[in-house]
Amino acid sequence: MRSFLSLLNGPQTFGNSRGFWAAAVAVFLVALFYPLVADSYTVGNLAYFGVWVFMALGLSLIWGYGGMLSFGQTAFFGLAGYSYGVIAINLGANYGYPVLALVCALVIAAVLALVLGYFMIYGRITGVFVGIVTLSVTLTFATFLNQTAGPEWRIGRARLNGYNGMTRIPSLSIPWFDGDKITFRGEALYYLVLVMLVLCYLGLRILVNSRFGNVLVAIRENPERAELLGYDIRRYQLVAFIIGSTLAGLSGVLYTAWGQFIVPASMALPAAAMPIIWVAVGGRKDLTATLIGSLFVLWLFQNLIVISQQYALIVIGALLLVTILYMPGGYIVWLVENRDALFNWRRRRAQRLAASQPAANDGAAE
Amino acid sequence: MQPTEIVAYLYQISDVFAFLVLAAAGLAIIFGMMGIINMAHGEFIAMGGYVTTYSYHAGVPLAAAVMIGALACGLFGVFLERTIVRRFYHRPIDSLVATWGISLIMTQGALLLLGSGAPGVGTPFGSVSLANASFSIYRLVLFAIAVLLLVGLYLLFMKTRFGRHARATMQNAAMARALGVPVQGIYSVTFGLGAALAGLCGGLYAPTMTLSPMMGATFVIEAFVTVVAGGADVLIGTPPAAIALAVIKATATAFYGQVYGVMSLLVAVCLVVRLMPEGFTGWLIRRRS
Amino acid sequence: MTIKLGALLAGVAAFAISAAQAADKPPIKIGLLEDQSGEIALFTLPKVRGTQLAVEEINKAGGIMGRQLELIAYDPQFDNSKFQEFTRRLLDKDKVDVLFAGATSASREAVRPIVDNSDVLYFYTNQYEGGVCDGNMIGTGGLPEQQFSTLIPWMMEKYGKKVYIIAADYNFGQISAEWTRKLVKDNGGEIVGQELIPLGVSQFGQTIQNIQKAKPDWLMSLVVGNSQSSFYEQAPAAGLKIPMGSSITIGLGFEHKRFKPPAMENMHVAMNWFEELEDPKAKEFVARWRAKFPTETYINDMGQNAYAAIYMYKKLVEMAGGSTKLADIRKQIATGNACIDAPEGQICIDPKSQHAAHRMWQISVDAAHKVKTERSWDRIEPYWLGQIGCDLTKDDPKEQYTPSSLPKK
Repeated sequence: MRSFLSLLNGPQTFGNSRGFWAAAVAVFLVALFYPLVADSYTVGNLAYFGVWVFMALGLSLIWGYGGMLSFGQTAFFGLAGYSYGVIAINLGANYGYPVLALVCALVIAAVLALVLGYFMIYGRITGVFVGIVTLSVTLTFATFLNQTAGPEWRIGRARLNGYNGMTRIPSLSIPWFDGDKITFRGEALYYLVLVMLVLCYLGLRILVNSRFGNVLVAIRENPERAELLGYDIRRYQLVAFIIGSTLAGLSGVLYTAWGQFIVPASMALPAAAMPIIWVAVGGRKDLTATLIGSLFVLWLFQNLIVISQQYALIVIGALLLVTILYMPGGYIVWLVENRDALFNWRRRRAQRLAASQPAANDGAAE
Repeated sequence: MQPTEIVAYLYQISDVFAFLVLAAAGLAIIFGMMGIINMAHGEFIAMGGYVTTYSYHAGVPLAAAVMIGALACGLFGVFLERTIVRRFYHRPIDSLVATWGISLIMTQGALLLLGSGAPGVGTPFGSVSLANASFSIYRLVLFAIAVLLLVGLYLLFMKTRFGRHARATMQNAAMARALGVPVQGIYSVTFGLGAALAGLCGGLYAPTMTLSPMMGATFVIEAFVTVVAGGADVLIGTPPAAIALAVIKATATAFYGQVYGVMSLLVAVCLVVRLMPEGFTGWLIRRRS
Repeated sequence: MTIKLGALLAGVAAFAISAAQAADKPPIKIGLLEDQSGEIALFTLPKVRGTQLAVEEINKAGGIMGRQLELIAYDPQFDNSKFQEFTRRLLDKDKVDVLFAGATSASREAVRPIVDNSDVLYFYTNQYEGGVCDGNMIGTGGLPEQQFSTLIPWMMEKYGKKVYIIAADYNFGQISAEWTRKLVKDNGGEIVGQELIPLGVSQFGQTIQNIQKAKPDWLMSLVVGNSQSSFYEQAPAAGLKIPMGSSITIGLGFEHKRFKPPAMENMHVAMNWFEELEDPKAKEFVARWRAKFPTETYINDMGQNAYAAIYMYKKLVEMAGGSTKLADIRKQIATGNACIDAPEGQICIDPKSQHAAHRMWQISVDAAHKVKTERSWDRIEPYWLGQIGCDLTKDDPKEQYTPSSLPKK
């Protein structure tokens, strides 16, 4: 167990110091007690942001650590969401069936990731072509689902309902004592998302700092060298792809359960590019950067719309340009790498002033 | 199949072929030359459509208006290249994010500035009848333009000094620079050419379509599919890719409807990437040697 | 420092004055969620403007029973998850009294579960495929039974019994096609062909050929969206000149303003609103709109519906004695007297379905793209939901029904 926990720190993640972990625990405690002081809207809104972060973390693993740009995150998001919807509608909202639906949806996502990943990775598809194939698969699913509006498109009691989307999907709930149940909405969902997020984050940290993660990064840096060193790079890439895609599926299930609704447009083009945008802007080569970065970007985009309405897209476009031009690793990474320069500018300015004083005194004294 | 049906079928294939070539040419040049995925490709097409339409309504004849549209996009492309794009050579993923940002600005900017734009141009040249089917002549003109475009690009890249420099830069930029090729200028002009071709596509199709800031979206997927199938070299790869995909799509649409037409292309690209990773370019090069 | 203090004092004073003014009657908060950017913003921006015009007029005239209207609007950017996100914000944070949201059915279905978990009234002001039986919702757009049962018999009588259908391949298109098939058959006609087109497709070469081969008397065209409307340019260019019927062109998509004549020649549409209506009240409304928004290309049915819906809300609140509570308003709807004089004519909310009975107009377009009114019907009820068993005065299933998915008896 100890060796496991020691992998929380390592060369593949930022923030290995005591200070970092102290701050992390502090943030966690604040998050834990936040609902006691905040209004229900803010709590629900934070939970909503948290739902998308799993997809971003998964993409960080596949793209940031594995070097494969996958446009498929939204495909697994959507498929897992639909799977959850179909199973939950058919089984009903009681006896904890929604949790069973969640687990099954994740399994389905993982199996599909295995199939698609095998096709791509063992077919030696690399670089930008991974993006193209995953985008094509995503768009095919979206196009196909769009025209399933007719009554013949049903699985059990659940109608796929095409472009309008599948509705009346039960929320996540677990049975509780006295025949009651906890429905994960509002505050309860917030805590559920928080706990899952912490577990995923810590788990991913252990993963990327382990031997697996080191090899994965080696493959990202130079696939031929890794192969020459004897590693079966395809197996590592495939595992990373499956884990990352399943995380996207988790986002899909949580989103569907949150809104009780899933729609093919969640997989179509503007949506498919969003995880890439968040991760590119927040920072993809480090899990913590992705976590903080994508939360911030989601919050920022929402507020930009509130403030600037019709102009929001223009502001967002400009932001993307600025970020990718000057902070190509993502702004969190940029902040971390430049923090010395940022925090020391005061000291340097004082030094410069001190250096210029004696000359002035000399001049004045004469 | 009856003779009229064969003619109709060939007409559909040529129609799709023209669409794919015109939509993909600009993207292929940019991707092949600079390794940049231009997510603003659709917006360049829309820009070409808008400039052409506004020029036409200002009294310019249609052919000249299309040229103006292409030229305007070309110049804008050169401008973008000099300011932003040049920092992203051979960084396809960063260029993806940057051009996505540009596309957001262009689309929403166009909507805010131009609103629903001007009324359309109207398709010229009328139609011709054959038995009980009739065909738009303009679309045959588009097919002719697509073929001429491919010939023109061949001549440009094979027979001119610029073309030689461009191909050298494509193969080995460092060596080309060492030999005195003005590589930076080549990149600028080539990006401008790619943008101009996108504008040309928009200008040519504007008379057949609705003018809206999002009008480029309908071209983008097919353009990407053609570029991927064609591979890095627009001269060797794009024509056979366009023919093959046109046959696939026209056949799927004719027998199974538009849904299968759309999905057939998406499935095709997956298979192409799996079986011919470098597209037709790689396959043909290997066959030649 | 002095400047800052001065500004602060001025701000406090202004705030105190306005607070004193508003202290007696708090404003009624109106939540608006319509696309101001993205795929269909061209068509939904008139909704924003129509709402703004109505709010401004009502406020100038003293508001609703002395309470001013406060409009809180967000731009969901044609993204269903943003519709959900901002609905929650409007309901939980801004605490609006009423919500007007959504153009596409997908966005409405994204919003409905959230609204249904609250006690906020929700107006859906677009024409759609019909069938929503939900006590939280009032639908004020045109419905298939209103649009098709008026248009199709006329088209069949004038042009013939052989009909070809092209429709966008999603819920609205498929259900509209279903209605068309049923009404054509009921009137003794024959469907000689049907084609469903995925959204986003803009090239219709094969489709045009298929239509020519089938030789129909007229075409029912249910293509939706910017890309698909390219059909209207490509069809005549290919020599396909045929009478066309539709429920969404002209009045919603204003193709006659966007395409060069004579692309839309011989198009016939039945809808509850066209900007070209000869009615004096309609003309006066158009004049007021264009005074405030001079660059408007066309005031489409969505825009007029959005405007009228605000007035309908005003009427309902007044009928309920000033209460904005959902239960009180629903009681007023149940009386069957919730009617207003909209620019289109009188509209009334039907108690069983909570959808609007409309004045229906049928127009045709000539070669110069001039719109001519052929006929009008004073009042067409939204009868289908009541017919299949939806009665919101008795219970509230919060479901959407379709001809192939009826309520279980």
